[in-house]
Amino acid sequence: MPRWMKITSFIVFVAAIGAGGWSWKKLNTARSDVADDKVVLADITSPDPEAVKRGEYVMRTADCAACHTADKGVFAGAYRISTPFGDLLSSNITPDRESGIGKMTARDFFNAVRQGQGSKGLLYPAMPFTAYAKLTDQDMQDLWAYMATVKPVANKVDENAGMPFPFNVRLVMAGWDVLFFDNSGFSAENHLSALESRGKYLVDAGGHCSACHSPRNSLGAEIDSAYLQGGRLGDWYAPDLTSSPHAGLGARSAAEITEYLKTGEAGPVATGPMAEAIEHSLQYMTDEDLQAIATYLKSLPAATDEKPPMIAATTPAMQRGALRYEVNCAACHGVAGEGMGGMTAAFAGNHTLQSDDATNLIHVMLVGGRAASTHAKITGAGMPSFAWKMDDRQIAETLDYIRNSWGNSAAPVEAAEVGRLRESLRAQSPLPQH
Amino acid sequence: MKRREALLSLGAAVAAAPAVSADTARAEVVRNYPQDMALDRAFQPPSVRVGGPLTVLTDDSERRTIGAIFDRLIPADEFGPSATEAGCIEFLDAQLAGPFGQGAALYREGPRAPDEDKMVQKAQFIATPRERYATGLKALDAWATNKHGAPFADLEAARQDEILAGMENGDIELAPEVNTKAFFELMLQNVREGYFSDPIYGGNKNMAGWKMIGFPGARYDYRLYADRTGQKLDLEPVNLIPKD
Repeated sequence: MPRWMKITSFIVFVAAIGAGGWSWKKLNTARSDVADDKVVLADITSPDPEAVKRGEYVMRTADCAACHTADKGVFAGAYRISTPFGDLLSSNITPDRESGIGKMTARDFFNAVRQGQGSKGLLYPAMPFTAYAKLTDQDMQDLWAYMATVKPVANKVDENAGMPFPFNVRLVMAGWDVLFFDNSGFSAENHLSALESRGKYLVDAGGHCSACHSPRNSLGAEIDSAYLQGGRLGDWYAPDLTSSPHAGLGARSAAEITEYLKTGEAGPVATGPMAEAIEHSLQYMTDEDLQAIATYLKSLPAATDEKPPMIAATTPAMQRGALRYEVNCAACHGVAGEGMGGMTAAFAGNHTLQSDDATNLIHVMLVGGRAASTHAKITGAGMPSFAWKMDDRQIAETLDYIRNSWGNSAAPVEAAEVGRLRESLRAQSPLPQH
Repeated sequence: MKRREALLSLGAAVAAAPAVSADTARAEVVRNYPQDMALDRAFQPPSVRVGGPLTVLTDDSERRTIGAIFDRLIPADEFGPSATEAGCIEFLDAQLAGPFGQGAALYREGPRAPDEDKMVQKAQFIATPRERYATGLKALDAWATNKHGAPFADLEAARQDEILAGMENGDIELAPEVNTKAFFELMLQNVREGYFSDPIYGGNKNMAGWKMIGFPGARYDYRLYADRTGQKLDLEPVNLIPKD
């Protein structure tokens, strides 16, 4: 984002703060009144074991460890999060009194997790409190009980030291909250079945799926009208989760989606950020909950029913792509794009690789990737990098072939786009050709 | 704002954060696999610059001599280009400039025992391949000038073949300091390598060597063809870093 846009954003924030009365509702923390405000976390010695067990499950569904565990100890924070506005470090959420959240009461915890109001001031939306706002009181109480069982780790974190002025002023986030934060809890919608409703709760609250799968506006807020229709995040693309028949989930059964979420593979193979979400979070969910998610996603109306025209197999570029595919790719992905069940992605009929946005494919071609390694499918097969072997045009042609063979059809990949990612991923240049 | 981009990058997360190892007093728990799939530069083939100046074979007469030898060993004919046309000089130059030329993989410390060639049933050298080429080529030209009145490259092809045959079967000893038979074998080995190794190393230009013998090149997988025994497949050879 250019500097003038950042400054404009800041002015918008400040103007929004000025909108006094309007902000009251967004920043109001009355929803936290259900929580105790006397006992601090470090003083809780024997939480209810049943609540702890349920709370651990809530922690899994919300994937807290993904960001709050780095190399300082479990939940001890200091995980670096790079944003266009500067670097943030995740906070220490162990019960340590000095550097963690040991001095928080349940109410403080509710305010932080659901309202984005922490002990040091307003939280940045890198913490998905916008989604966690939808967590039920019961799940929050259970999560609190679980947090009491976490081992305290002393690790002082200066969360926003890497943010330049004015973004290091936490109060700025008040303006953001006023503009974009929805301070209402989860409410079931009448047209959804009980199963779909449970799915929506898991998707929208703990799962915070839309954090990646919804596109964002220039101020970093999710665009509600394009809910779960696919979003670009840096060097990855989180695909369309609606029922779009071509590049969305339209042609996938709920059973296939469940299989993917539980194991990391169902034809398509999870890699990158989604592999992480599956390894740390989704694979721990019950089959019923995963079915609920799948059923709910299947209920979302298609974002688009468009299907790009297939590139003819007879063009010279496609024929070069075909030979390159046979020589470099077919050993693992199959001569007919059938993949290697449970390990390497099948290409034929794989909707995830037919999005207009080919970022993920370019990404793994350039720097390789790892399949999710789950309890069910442990291999975690590796995709090697081809950056040293193919130039931008060759990678684009290879992907065009993969995206337009065996019944697939997708927009052409631009060599210039491969070049941009090669630079931003710091992938190496190809060796001289002979 | 793509605020989750780095936060959700699997590479960083798993490499830096073994989510289950709380106890720092114990050895670090390694989870899963290395996430970085980029090819380590140490494992990449060193690429030969094409068309640039040679770095070892810089002496014109030396280069003429080795070129003449190579082109007698693999002459141009209806099956393909000659060794020098296929880039075997560039290949040899690059090899002599690198670890092979330095004898990096060879034991070259003393003591040198008189009967050790016999003991290990293979010629042993303290000199590096690079030094052996320099000494051998000079000795060959001196021998040819002395015996036939001209350096090797200026002799008739039939005469050159005769000399090479003599070197190969042990009839000719170029000089006391040159193991002539072993020097011939070294050159024969290197010209074959140059003619048939991947073009990335400087030889086998346009995959001429592979086309000559019908070798399909650096393909990963032949299952497509495994059951077509006895058939002519006419597979287009593919090199490691192709232009197309």
